[in-house]
This record gives sequence, structure tokens and C-alpha cells, in this order.
Amino acid sequence: MLRKEKQWSSLAFMLMTLLLFMILGGRLFYLQIVKGDYYRGLSSQNHIRVITKPAPRGLISDRNGVVLADSRPSFIVTAVPSEFDSANTGQVASLLGIPEEALSSILDQASSVPHKPVVLQASMSVDDVSSIAEYIYRIPGVLIDVAPQRRYHRPEEFCHIIGYVGLSDDPESYRGEITGRTGIEFNLNEVLRGSPGLHREVVDAMGRVVEEYRGTGSDEPLPGTNVIITIDAELQRTALEQLEKTALPGAVVIVNYVNGDILCAVSSPTFDPNMFSRGISQDEWDALIQNTANPLYCRAWTASYPPASTFKIVTAYWLLAEGLISENTMPAPCYGSLILGDTEFGCWTAHGRLNIISALARSCDVFFYRTAQLGSLDELAEYAEFFGLGSRLTEIFADERSGLVPDSDYLNSTYGPGGWGLGNLLNVSIGQGELLSTPLQMAAMTGVIASRGQMPLPRLVLQGEQREPFFPPKACDDTAFDVVTEGMLQVIESRRGTLHTVFSDFPWDFWGKTGTAECSGEDHAIIVGFTREPEPVVICVFIEHGGHGGVIAGPVARDILLSYFEGSD
Amino acid sequence: MIDLIGRDRPDVIYLIALLVLFLIGLAAVFSASTVISESGLFDKQLTWSIIGLLAFLVGTIISLRRLEEISPIAYAFICLLLLLTLFIGSGPANRWLAIGPIHVQPSEIAKAGLIFMTAWWLASQKVRPRKFGETLIFLTVVPAVVLTALQPDLGTAVSMLLIVLAMFIWAGYGVGWIILLVSPILAAVSSMNILLWLGFMIILTIILYRRKYAVPMWIAFMGGNSIVAALTPMAWKMLKPYQQSRLITFLNPSNDPHGSGWNIIQSEVAVGSGGLSGQGFLQGAQKELAFLPARHTDFVFSVWAEEMGFIGCLILLTAFFILFWRMVSAARKSVNPFNSLVAAGTAAYIGIHVFVNVGMTLGIMPVTGLPLPLISYGGSQLVTVLFLFGLVLNAGMYWREV
Repeated sequence: MLRKEKQWSSLAFMLMTLLLFMILGGRLFYLQIVKGDYYRGLSSQNHIRVITKPAPRGLISDRNGVVLADSRPSFIVTAVPSEFDSANTGQVASLLGIPEEALSSILDQASSVPHKPVVLQASMSVDDVSSIAEYIYRIPGVLIDVAPQRRYHRPEEFCHIIGYVGLSDDPESYRGEITGRTGIEFNLNEVLRGSPGLHREVVDAMGRVVEEYRGTGSDEPLPGTNVIITIDAELQRTALEQLEKTALPGAVVIVNYVNGDILCAVSSPTFDPNMFSRGISQDEWDALIQNTANPLYCRAWTASYPPASTFKIVTAYWLLAEGLISENTMPAPCYGSLILGDTEFGCWTAHGRLNIISALARSCDVFFYRTAQLGSLDELAEYAEFFGLGSRLTEIFADERSGLVPDSDYLNSTYGPGGWGLGNLLNVSIGQGELLSTPLQMAAMTGVIASRGQMPLPRLVLQGEQREPFFPPKACDDTAFDVVTEGMLQVIESRRGTLHTVFSDFPWDFWGKTGTAECSGEDHAIIVGFTREPEPVVICVFIEHGGHGGVIAGPVARDILLSYFEGSD
Repeated sequence: MIDLIGRDRPDVIYLIALLVLFLIGLAAVFSASTVISESGLFDKQLTWSIIGLLAFLVGTIISLRRLEEISPIAYAFICLLLLLTLFIGSGPANRWLAIGPIHVQPSEIAKAGLIFMTAWWLASQKVRPRKFGETLIFLTVVPAVVLTALQPDLGTAVSMLLIVLAMFIWAGYGVGWIILLVSPILAAVSSMNILLWLGFMIILTIILYRRKYAVPMWIAFMGGNSIVAALTPMAWKMLKPYQQSRLITFLNPSNDPHGSGWNIIQSEVAVGSGGLSGQGFLQGAQKELAFLPARHTDFVFSVWAEEMGFIGCLILLTAFFILFWRMVSAARKSVNPFNSLVAAGTAAYIGIHVFVNVGMTLGIMPVTGLPLPLISYGGSQLVTVLFLFGLVLNAGMYWREV
């Protein structure tokens, strides 16, 4: 090391450090000499209270700017345990109208962090507060604060998508902090919540504010980010109305298959999320929980059902793309059932001899029983996964189900090797057996056909880029798309198609497929389908125990689309 | 050959400053521990002080030459300890490692290991320069820094980096060179704003021009940093909003989960109420009422400031400055590059810790949890710095060891 270099370095070291130490000395001089008396005064009482200013939670609005969730002003009454005299407990309890024991137990629990205010009564309106404010202000250590309360403008339509909020029970939360419990409120909580501001006050021994703290400055709250969802609120309302007409539990999912936007996702029955904002009572909660139709459950993606005959579009695509059959292949005729070993696999009527297009149009099971045997279960399972089945699609909702695509590994582990056979393949080929999918997945599956494999993954938040297509390009086969599309058109166009009567007056072209999922009790009714004009959307209507797909789910789908398209003209 | 061996008497000013700080430390911890619930702390600290003085003596008589030879092994061992801490760490935030009844904090010891390692590399680079040797040195310190950051203790990790950078400057690398070294980090940060980015690129151009680099280096620095800057916003966008906010929280950790600024305010009140001459030893009201948090560790300076006032604080800061000055002198005197760099690294350690810790208690630095050397309660730290101080005294006495 050169001597000169070292001299320069040591000079730089000394000067730099001298500067830093002088900064410290200067700050010390300011705190101890300039403001020494001020701080000595504070220290003698030591009453600085830190008030957390809640951050306004982000708004949630639909794709057209309709506000779905916002916050309204509301008040909370809090107490600072270290400043509260327990002799006043009775008076406060009677003012707030709560039992004295309940109040004491709240204060006892909070006494471990004595300087932190604890909530005594939440979500009070202006009227509630104004009648007691005068008395409350005279009691040391009790405060009235503004705390925004979450308000849902379309509670029933959006209860499952947006979810609800509740008071946070995280020990690190500030008093009165609300946090998302379900839906978008839960899954995008970090985005919506913002960060609270801090306000410091100097208070006297009675807990009254003397002045602002003049030391380190206060921080303003940082509002949460607004979230715009892809749903069309009007369409959502129409869909729920139509669904509720059936008086049966069910779900409707409508997705734009060009950009992946979920335009509508309703589940019936519904509940009122505003109950949770204002604090749900035990009776209300019990009623929700004990309702056998389970309104808290989102049937659009939390429930998974057999896709039934709607899955035939996947089976048909697989058969065609793998070259197992062609458009003109006509296997042995359908006599109403197929006997395999000692099991009879039924069809709902005797269809006779038909090709793939008619088999789709008239939903013949035997056609698929016969042709599926040309391939293997694992090949079919692979294709089912290409179509989005068996995996979660939105990546937003914690409660989104992945459904189930059974392959040989799964069946081996369930029934043991050799414990299953060709029969399982036949069942899966018509969407029954172990196969399970959510209504959202059924819509996405149909979207693959509609978009010829180009449909992006469905998304629910409008901000940001559209997502990437999920159907692998290597599996794209133009002929197979053409034939399956034609089959779905014939479901409506063909005189004997399962949706022929329902859609006969529909003014636009519609490609559809019905399904009737066998289950205990009445069958589930399903319809999937898509339009190209006036808007490229894919729809799935699922009605629990609705009976035959075309009969009940078909009109629901038709009426929703009619009202949507006519309204948007 | 006798005259080749520079040998001085021990630096008396240095020893006096050290003694003053050592006594202030004991007094402050004693005062902080008078609050009943923490009465056992002072006895523990006294025990650690005795071990620390032994470490100091070892530091003064040890052969720095030997130490230089085992530096890489010592560093590897420290990294191993840090790795172990990640998996079997105990105590708050899992930063401690239990060895029998003793709990040590490897990240404190790691600072010494890092100083030895960097000194070893830089010294060997002087004797036998390697191509890209500097980059290699920088990569060598990465494990200790990253393992500490993962604890997560970002404050300590950053202080480690700063110590290493200070040693680079001491070794004669200009500030421009340091900027080149950390340029990918600067590129990533500046990519958030176009003006910032342009400014950064201009500075980069000036440095490259003045250092007369050949074309390949120009391409490497300009191109590499442009790629980093271009990729950063893309990588950022690919993250989900909640991941972004987690990252921000990680980069901006606050030891105050309630976010109330409570600690800082109480510390400011304590310091400010000390006034010119303080409230008197053991008389601090803030401390007494247990309003002051972490009063024996992070906020020990506030206890001292409250009880001893502005005068007491000036004595403390002056003593630290003298200590620093004598360390730099020792570093300057040492002919052996390793000795010189260890002394300079220790000086940087003191400077950084004093500024960050005292600055925190005065509300001008973020809450990072760096201790105040010699003053804060804590055995690992006390023993480590006393050993380093012994080495510095050693380096100053035998300044031409061959």
C-alpha cells in the first residue's frame, strides 16, 4: 500500500466519521438543550397516546365502474386500559347497553398492553353516538373514534365473489382494523387494506388531549388500492334473477373466451355480507350455518360435480385429434345400452347408427362407450387436463377447487391395481365416474372449443394484462375443432338436438351441449355453450337436482343471454 | 534486522478511551437492569466482561500472521454457524445458537470473521493480483451477508456490507470503483425512475471513461446494467400484489410491529428530558417506569442520555471518536496490509454501529436493532469487539511485523 494512498484514505475516514458524529451531536443538542424543557415536561407525566388512523379500504367496482363495495363512516368506542378507572365500568356499560361483566372481561384481556386502546363497541351510527357522546367524553380513558365500516351495494349478487370482512383478530392489528374473511376481500386483503396512519397526542392525567405531539411527525394513512373486477354487475343481477326463478341451488358462469374475463359468476342461494360488516349475531350465524342449501358455499368454483354429457366435447375432441375416429366413423348402432361383462351401461334412448356429430347433437352415450375403447384412460385424462379440468384456474380464490381427473395412478391408489377396468374408462368418457369439475372449469372447457384453443386462463381482476392460454398449442387440431364445433351447433340446429326447442327462437347462433349428472336424488342439470355474435362468451349453467339438462338449465341460459345481449345493444 | 521490526509502546490514549467506554457500558447496563424484573442481567454482563477482557488480552498477544493464515478457515466456520442458526436458531427471531448453557449470536461473531476474510483477500490481492480478484472477494462475503439477511436481520447484513466496502476504500479502491462493484444493485433501484436511471448511466459513463477501461468492459458494464434495469420492472410486474407487498415489508422491516413509533417516541422523550446534565445516575424516570423498550440492548444509549444528559453523551461520543481516530492511526501505521486492514475494518465497524444505533435512539435512523458496541448488553458482541480491539492495539504496537 502506498503511503500517499493511505493518507488519503485515513483523511477520508476521519472526515466522514467526524461529519456523522457531528450530526449526532447536533441532534442531541436539539433534543436535550433546545427542546429539553418540552421533553422533561412530557417525561414527568409520560402521557403520549398513539392513535392509529384506519386506512380507507380500497373500493371494489365492476368492469363498468359500478361500485360494489365501499366504506361508510361509522364510529367505535374505545378505551385505553391504563387510563381507564374501573370504577366507571358500570356507567360505561349502561351507556353502551352492554352487560357490565362483558365490559370488564374486554378490559381485563386488554390490560396486558395498557397503552393500546381496545374496542368496546363497534359500528355505531351517528345517531347512536350523538346520544351518548356527551357522557362518554367526561369519562377518562374512553374515546369515540371514526372507523370506516364496509358496505356492500349488491350484497346478494356478489356475496361469494367479493366475500365479507370482519374485525381482525390478529394480535398485531390495530383496534378496529377490519380484515377480509372470504372472497376477494380475503384473497386481495393485502392490496385492499392500505396502511394505517399514526397520530400522536399528548394527554393529561385524565386522558384528555392537551396538544399534538411535537416530536417526530405523524403519518397519514395510506388508502388501500381500488380493485376493479371483470364482472358485469347487470349481467350478474340478471343471472341471479333467472337462477332464483328455478328455486333450486345452482351456479351460472359466463366468461369472455377471447380475453378470459369472467363476466358473471353467481351461486344461489346467497346471503347478505353486510351482516358481517356490522357484526353478525349468533342467531344470524346459526341460521346461515344450519341452512342445508349452504348459502356460504360458492357453487361456481368451490363445488365440484360430474360434468356429465358436457364432457363429451372433450372425449370427442380427443378421439378426433388422436385419429381414433374420423368425422364419418359410424360404430355399431346404439340399441339403448351396452353390455360389458356383466354390467349394462345404459343410454337414455336407442339412437341407432350415427356419426360423431349426431352423437354430440343427440347426446348418445353408447357411441362414446364404443369409441372410447379405442384409446386408454390415461390418454383421455391427459386431454381432460389440457381442457383445464383437474386444476385451479383463477389462482385468486383460496377456496377454488381443482376438481378431479382420474387417471390410472389415481384409480390404482383408490381401488388397488386391477381393482378397476374398462368400465371406468366408459364412465369417464361420458363425464361420469370419478370425474369432477367446477362450473368454472366446465365453462373454460367449452371456451377451448369456442376459441379453438386460444382462450386465456380466466381472470377476475381487470387490472393488468390478460393471462396466457392454457390449452397446449401442440394439442390443437383444426379438423377436431371443426367437427366438435359442428356437433355443438347441431345440438341446436338438428331437429333432434337436445337444445333444439329451447333455442329455436334465439336470434343469434348458439353452440351448446347439455348434461345430466347422475347423483343420489334428482339428477343435476347442466348446459354449456357459446356464442360468437354479438359477443364471444361461453356460458355454463348448473342446477343442482334440476333434472334433465336441456329442460331446465337450457331456458335459464337462453334467458340470461337474451337479456344480456338485448340490453347491451 | 532489529530496526525492521517496528515496536511501540501500547497506545495510551486508545486504552483510556476504551476504558472510559467499558466503564460507561457497565454503568449503563447496571442502570438499565435496576428495574426489578431484569436484575440478573448485570451479573451476566459482568461475567461476559471478564471473558471479553481475556479475549482482549488474547487479541493483543496473538500473532496476527497466524491469524491471517487461518482467516479463510475461520470465515468458513462462521458461515457454518450462520447456516446452523437458520435451522436450529433459538431465542427471539431465532438469532441465537445454544451451545450448552451459553447462547451466542453468530451474526455478531460473523462481523469479525468477515473483517478477517476481507483483509486476507485484499492483502493477498496486493501481493499477488488476480484477474477479477476484487469481484471474487465480493462474492466471498456474499454467504455471510445473505445468511444473516435470511434470519431475517437485514440491518446487520447491510452493516456487514458497509464494513466490507469501507475496507475496499481503505485498500485504495476509489469510490468510482466501489460504484462499479455495486452497479447492478444501483441499476435495479434506479430503474424505477427514468431520470434516476439517466443520472446513474451518466455517472457510470464518467467512471468508465476516467478509469480508461477497454471496450469489452464498457460493453459488460453498460450492457449488463441495462439488462438488469430492463428486467427489474418486468420481474416486479410478474409478482402478485401480495408478493410485492411482502417484499416491501421484508426490505423495510420495522422492529415495531404495531407500527406506532412507540419505541422511538419514548426514546426521544428519554433523551430530551436528560437536558444538559441529566437526571442523575439511576434516576431516569423513563427507564424506571419501564416505558423505554429494550433499554439494556438497542436503546441503552437513551438510558445514558436521560441520566447523564448532554454532557454525558458528549463524553461518550468523544470517547468513541478518539477510539476511532486511534484505530485509524494504527491502521495507517501498520506496514503489513492484513494488520492495517483489520484495524481499518474494526474502525469502520465502530463508526457504522455508533452512528446507526445512536441515530436510531435520536429518531434520525430507522429501527434496525444494531447494538452499540461496548455499551449494549450482549455477550457475543462484547467479546467479539474486545477481541478486535485487542488486535488493533496489537497491530499498532507491532506495526512492522515480519
